[in-house]
Amino acid sequence: MKKNSKWMVSVICLFIGFMVAIQFQTTTQPEVRDTRDEWEVREALQDEQKNQRELLEKIRAADKTLEDYEAQSSQEQLATLKESIDLLESRVGLTEAKGKGVVLNISPIFQEGFSSEQLYPSLTPQMLSRLINELNTYGAEDIAIANERLTNLSPVRDVNGMTYVNNRPLPSLPLTIQVLTDQPQKLKDYMEASQSRDMLSIENLDMEVETSETMTLPKYDAPLHLEILEETGE
Amino acid sequence: MWLPILFLLIGLSLGLLTDIRVPEAYSDYLSIAVLAAFDTLLGGIRAQLERTFNETVFMTGFFFNVSLAAFLAFLGVQLGVDLYLAAVFAFGVRLFQNLAIIRHQVIDQKLLTKFRKK
Repeated sequence: MKKNSKWMVSVICLFIGFMVAIQFQTTTQPEVRDTRDEWEVREALQDEQKNQRELLEKIRAADKTLEDYEAQSSQEQLATLKESIDLLESRVGLTEAKGKGVVLNISPIFQEGFSSEQLYPSLTPQMLSRLINELNTYGAEDIAIANERLTNLSPVRDVNGMTYVNNRPLPSLPLTIQVLTDQPQKLKDYMEASQSRDMLSIENLDMEVETSETMTLPKYDAPLHLEILEETGE
Repeated sequence: MWLPILFLLIGLSLGLLTDIRVPEAYSDYLSIAVLAAFDTLLGGIRAQLERTFNETVFMTGFFFNVSLAAFLAFLGVQLGVDLYLAAVFAFGVRLFQNLAIIRHQVIDQKLLTKFRKK
């Protein structure tokens, strides 16, 4: 082999080696290391312990209910069953709910002088969902929108430009939203300063918040559709 | 003889030390280019043993094969056909053929002549 070609082959070999090395580095994934320090590990451990404790408590409560059932006579069993059914129904929203809370009055704002045509504003489903989320964030327990009790399965939809709650159209504005909560004053303060207020104003809507000591929320009376629910594999 | 191997090692260590990574999307191109490079290298060794080595052919073969392989992979991606498999297959077959010829040559040249001497 001539000296010149020797060098050339060597340079090609250099190229090849370089390419192989890069390919090797690309295909081997860097190992993921646990970079948490002692404090973070301790926190994670504590979280897990808390989880475990909660689970154990749940098991204990369930065991206790089971024991009660076994110890009681059939009549008492029936009573206990009815009691738990009542409890569950009230939790879902199938019974009337009474208590203190907050009433939100949503009404249109009319501004004159901008243009000759004045559109009557309406509450969009997106706006309503946002409002509901905000109420739930600030501690609402039960909500009724224009006498439609909200359950966990209540849909808020747009149907042909109308806002539907529980598959029934909402009446046109103004409308009231009743909210039950433990601390009405606090919820009122939160809602007075909330973002929803600004968002409502953009859509020409005004929100008035009042606390109320006694309120009665209507019950949800349509059947609950639970077809899409499935048992968890526990 | 030792110079290419030395350079191969230098290239390997350079690549490993610089810690360059090719983005995931282009790793196919690089892998096929590496395969083409290996093919050219083995082809060069074979040609040397057959005493038909030509440095121009070697050089152009290296760059042409590498770029053709990358282009084929690119075309495959554009067309939605795994065309780079064709390149892998072709280069794989040629690798084995070249290796077989190299083996034959080495056996013929080195071992058989030794046996004959005895």
